[in-house]
Amino acid sequence: MPTTERRVAPRAIVDSRPPLAGRVAGRSVPRRDATARLTGQARYVADLELAGTWHGVTVRATEPRARLLGIDLDPAFDWSRVVVLTAKDVPGDNVVQFAVDDQPVLAIGEVRHVGEPVALIAAPDLPTALAARDHVVLRTEPLPPVLDPMASECVFAHFEIAKGDPDAALAGADLVIEGTYTVGRQEQLYLETQGMLAVPREDGGVTVHGSMQCPYYVHAALRRALALDDAHLSVVQSETGGGFGGKEEFPSGLAIHAAMLAMRSGRPVRMIYDRHEDLVATTKRHPAIIRSRMGISRDGRLVAQDVDVVMDAGAYATLSHVVLSRGTIHAGGPYACPNVRIRSRAVMTNTPPSGAFRGFGAPQVEFAAEMQVNRAAEALGISPAALRERWAYRVGDVTATGQVLRDSVAAVTVLERAVGASRFEEVRAAAAGARAARGAGDGVAPERASAADPRGRAGAGREHLAHGIGVALGWHGAGFTGSGEANLASVVALEVTADGRIVLYTDSTEIGQGSRTVLPQLVAEELGVDLDLVHVAPTDTSIVPNSGPTVASRTTMVVGGLLVTAARRLRAEVEARTGRPFAASYLDDVRGHGATRVTERFAGYPGIAWDEPSHLGDAYPAYGWTAVVAEVDVDLDTGEVAVRRVVSADDVGRAVNPLLATGQIEGGTLQGVGYATIEEARVDGGRLLNDRLATCVVPTSMDAPEIESILVEEPFSGAPHGAKGLGELPMDVPAPAVVAAIQDATGAWIHDLPASPERILAALREREAGIGGREAAR
Amino acid sequence: MTISIGTAVRFTVNGVPVVAEGPGSRRLLDVLRDDLGLTGTKEGCGEGECGACSVLLDGRVVNSCLVPIGQVAGGDVRTVEGLATDGRLGALQEAFLQGGAVQCGFCTPGMLASAAAFLASRTPPTDEAVREAIAGNLCRCTGYTKIVEAIQVAAGAEVPVERSEPPEAPTWGAPFASPERPASGEPATAPPSLRVPVRPPADARRPDLVAVRTLPEALHRLAEGGYRPIAGGTDLMVGLEAGTADPSVPLLDLWALDELRGIRLEGSGLVLGALTTYAELRASPVVREHLPAVARMAGGVGAVQIQNRGTLGGNLVNASPAGDTLPLLLAADAEIVVQSVRGERAIPATAFWTGYRRTALAPDELVVGVRVPLPPARHVVFRKIGTRRAQSIAKASVAVAWRTDESGAWRDVRVALGAVAERAIRAPETEAVLEGRVPARDVADEAARVVAREITPIDDVRSTAEYRRAAVARVLRRIVLEGGDAVAEAKLA
Repeated sequence: MPTTERRVAPRAIVDSRPPLAGRVAGRSVPRRDATARLTGQARYVADLELAGTWHGVTVRATEPRARLLGIDLDPAFDWSRVVVLTAKDVPGDNVVQFAVDDQPVLAIGEVRHVGEPVALIAAPDLPTALAARDHVVLRTEPLPPVLDPMASECVFAHFEIAKGDPDAALAGADLVIEGTYTVGRQEQLYLETQGMLAVPREDGGVTVHGSMQCPYYVHAALRRALALDDAHLSVVQSETGGGFGGKEEFPSGLAIHAAMLAMRSGRPVRMIYDRHEDLVATTKRHPAIIRSRMGISRDGRLVAQDVDVVMDAGAYATLSHVVLSRGTIHAGGPYACPNVRIRSRAVMTNTPPSGAFRGFGAPQVEFAAEMQVNRAAEALGISPAALRERWAYRVGDVTATGQVLRDSVAAVTVLERAVGASRFEEVRAAAAGARAARGAGDGVAPERASAADPRGRAGAGREHLAHGIGVALGWHGAGFTGSGEANLASVVALEVTADGRIVLYTDSTEIGQGSRTVLPQLVAEELGVDLDLVHVAPTDTSIVPNSGPTVASRTTMVVGGLLVTAARRLRAEVEARTGRPFAASYLDDVRGHGATRVTERFAGYPGIAWDEPSHLGDAYPAYGWTAVVAEVDVDLDTGEVAVRRVVSADDVGRAVNPLLATGQIEGGTLQGVGYATIEEARVDGGRLLNDRLATCVVPTSMDAPEIESILVEEPFSGAPHGAKGLGELPMDVPAPAVVAAIQDATGAWIHDLPASPERILAALREREAGIGGREAAR
Repeated sequence: MTISIGTAVRFTVNGVPVVAEGPGSRRLLDVLRDDLGLTGTKEGCGEGECGACSVLLDGRVVNSCLVPIGQVAGGDVRTVEGLATDGRLGALQEAFLQGGAVQCGFCTPGMLASAAAFLASRTPPTDEAVREAIAGNLCRCTGYTKIVEAIQVAAGAEVPVERSEPPEAPTWGAPFASPERPASGEPATAPPSLRVPVRPPADARRPDLVAVRTLPEALHRLAEGGYRPIAGGTDLMVGLEAGTADPSVPLLDLWALDELRGIRLEGSGLVLGALTTYAELRASPVVREHLPAVARMAGGVGAVQIQNRGTLGGNLVNASPAGDTLPLLLAADAEIVVQSVRGERAIPATAFWTGYRRTALAPDELVVGVRVPLPPARHVVFRKIGTRRAQSIAKASVAVAWRTDESGAWRDVRVALGAVAERAIRAPETEAVLEGRVPARDVADEAARVVAREITPIDDVRSTAEYRRAAVARVLRRIVLEGGDAVAEAKLA
């Protein structure tokens, strides 16, 4: 065997603070469910098998908007072995329960987007169900669709937050940077498609197993649409092959579909989307148009921001108002500014509904904010890293919503770490030199470049590659917005069972991020017991309490915090009885006292006040901070971009498991890089164009940069363990860092995501023409 | 031998003999999951893009969603369930576990298959080599960093990594415990048994597959009519799954025709068998020496799984204007050799593609190979502009061939282009610009201007007409300026 370089040291760097008390939390223990996943034993919903299971499929609308006149079944087909359901068969309310009751379980009267579910079919086998679907005819009458978000008159949600006097400040500013930025739809592309298995019960109820992030969302939706009570319903999360927000709200409707078919057919029914259906029918990240004006004083102070955000919500509101709210609050970026106005709206179009995707409104607006800062730095002639350092939030600063940032503000720290580790200024200086050497100032014209080469022929053959580096700074509110966490009032429980096991109860789902490892780590640490003594109850709504959804980067922070508190109470209770340390005495306590169960309900973080109608106050209990430096090579002939290296420094409060935390950073970073360069779900005429995986592309291992993650730990005092949100943070600003690097390499600003080769080449050619034109005029 | 409904296909899975029933075009993936209960192998897309269904077939990593079961007869399939031994993780699995290379786990079984094939190849585990080995396996969770590192650790482990007991997550009950589970004596966690054979439901999407053992037999069948030839299936199986290929036509399985395999020098030319795979093309010392652009092109098709199954003949007959081999063969003056019961003929590449996905092939004819002349001192350069750096379909591609005379002028210039017209084309006006000229800057600029006029690209889901026109012109210009293979080497690899 050839000798090879052996690299075992992880690339991640952990900012060295003393780890949490000790033995378990703060350590990189391998994830507990990895073995099942490495041996093929982990059961995802498509792997579950029950004898006699039928297969369900969905009949979908094919027009962006139409009156639905009727649903005809081809009499030539044998319908006797098939169940067909339409809107009139919904037992309860024909509504997929979410914040707004506008999305039907099955369309009635009017279809509002291509791919909208209209009817359901179940058959003993999949080929029969698919054949039946081919024999359903939707009788429709087309209606004029609304496809341009700027022209839409239907506003699902709007916000305006303001402080100071932005108009006066802009009028008085020495420099005003103005820009319009657009960001495309992005597909979550969890590797496991959506799927549910519904099992009818003898008591008239139903149990639904499936791939999901939020069992109690599904539970509530089933209760409403099926008109069942809690006793007749259970929702069980099966192993889930990724979510990224895509399995936050969408699974509720699919669960209702499968349950309706199961209850009608009296059989277990499974519905597993194939990739094409998953791409066409499920939510994407909201596309957005952001207009921004930034006022700057002569001495380089940020004096005003005026931002206008329009998000395309698609045909139904789903959770667009929450996405928009987060987008609104984050739109100014992590920068102190005395005069701010942010206006936003989410509008209806006849396109498939937009929905949750990691970052949840923040990546869209932070792209625009960071682009504005970059252009300000260019205009001021100073380093974009230095300008950020000057403007970044510090403890005591006041946000656009009037929140005083009291602690755990690490914007400057993450920036310093990322800039230092990437040797940002050095690389930037080299790139500027190379740009100048290519001729025509910072131009990129290959014609000029080769003209400058007296040989007229290539040397090393690499002069068509331009190297550049870019930086971005981001923030992400951890947990639900405003009063969200208080309203959720999440519940967890911890128990020493009668047979001496320690079991934690939560509906927080393991979707790959590692909660099934991290939460037991926190509990084991507090109880002072070995990690493998802590068991996790199955994620089944008939067993676990509602700890809130697994979204919003809240699981380790909020649910983990509740479990820490619960563990402290459990420990105190047992130790009070035994007079000895918990670990040494809990089994004795069980023998004498029996089981002990403590339940912990979230009661709000201290000192947090929020006014929902005005959107003023403490928008989040704490913020995570992220700085990203990206290096790229741009092919000046084709506009192709290779992202070579990304350094991401992220303040997560406390890293309970650094191995898993850096895994989150690396994964989020690549999704951000994809968002920046190649990922876009393109909708034209209400129809998804790239509706196969061959055309809906995401980065492969060869597209992925070398990623260095730096964990910074600036604890959040409001959480007992200091942890803040992590999941979404690394997704927020890789895109502006990459686009800044493209500008650094080429001199061309790209204002739209993705910064595709098509857009880059167009910008390069425009610059070349401009330079050529200027020179010709001389 | 005819494989049709009711006929059994015998092969081994993880060393255990099994039998599969049903039409020969059934997907290996479905047989593994539905018939054999080996659900470790996942379906992520059904079109050979994500690699979640990757398994080892006779030691090579393949997408099991693209392999018709008839082609597995007598073969040896390895799945993730066969990786652990005696309940202990292997070194590769252990490296994934300890290195944090597993998140949601859905890509993991396929990723392990690609990694295992890579380790078996004994290729030095550089970052680049490992990334290429897993480029056919999408992962959306990890950013790949920890996966690459884990594979390097496993490769570097000259002694097995010290194995810890797998940290079995304590389960609170069976993984699939529900009140509805049918009562049975089996524990819920029992390993799936190889239950065989299972009669699958009739499925109109799965045509019969007729295997032939000799070329004359294949030609005879084609002369009878009513068959559609299938080689590696990397396009046809996708079409059947997506409903774009007609499932009522039985497939004529050419995979066993070894006489259509092979790469050899013949006279002053190179002969490539129609069933030669991209993997064989890129690995062949003969190709690498005499026509290195073909080896490089083959290395840029799909990723390892596709390269192991996709064939030269399949790409030619599929006749996509974006097919990677087409511009190269046009530029290299190749001839397509076809046979039928009526005899053999050679069709110049320039006459082979007649329109969008149309060829000059008669219904009874089969492509048996390609002859590429190897004139002395000829350069051939190929550049693909793709949607990403692996698993990519061309937005446009450019192939240029020439020889340089004593004066430094280009002679016998060929410029061929993919994905800029309804078929792969030569660009004669552009060739005329370059013919007999020394490749200086003004010549390059003129060629770029002319080629932009000469092509008729369109807007589609992958790119725009404007981009294709500009990118092709600039790449051609660059190739002329570089005057050699250097440009291909320096492209964003």
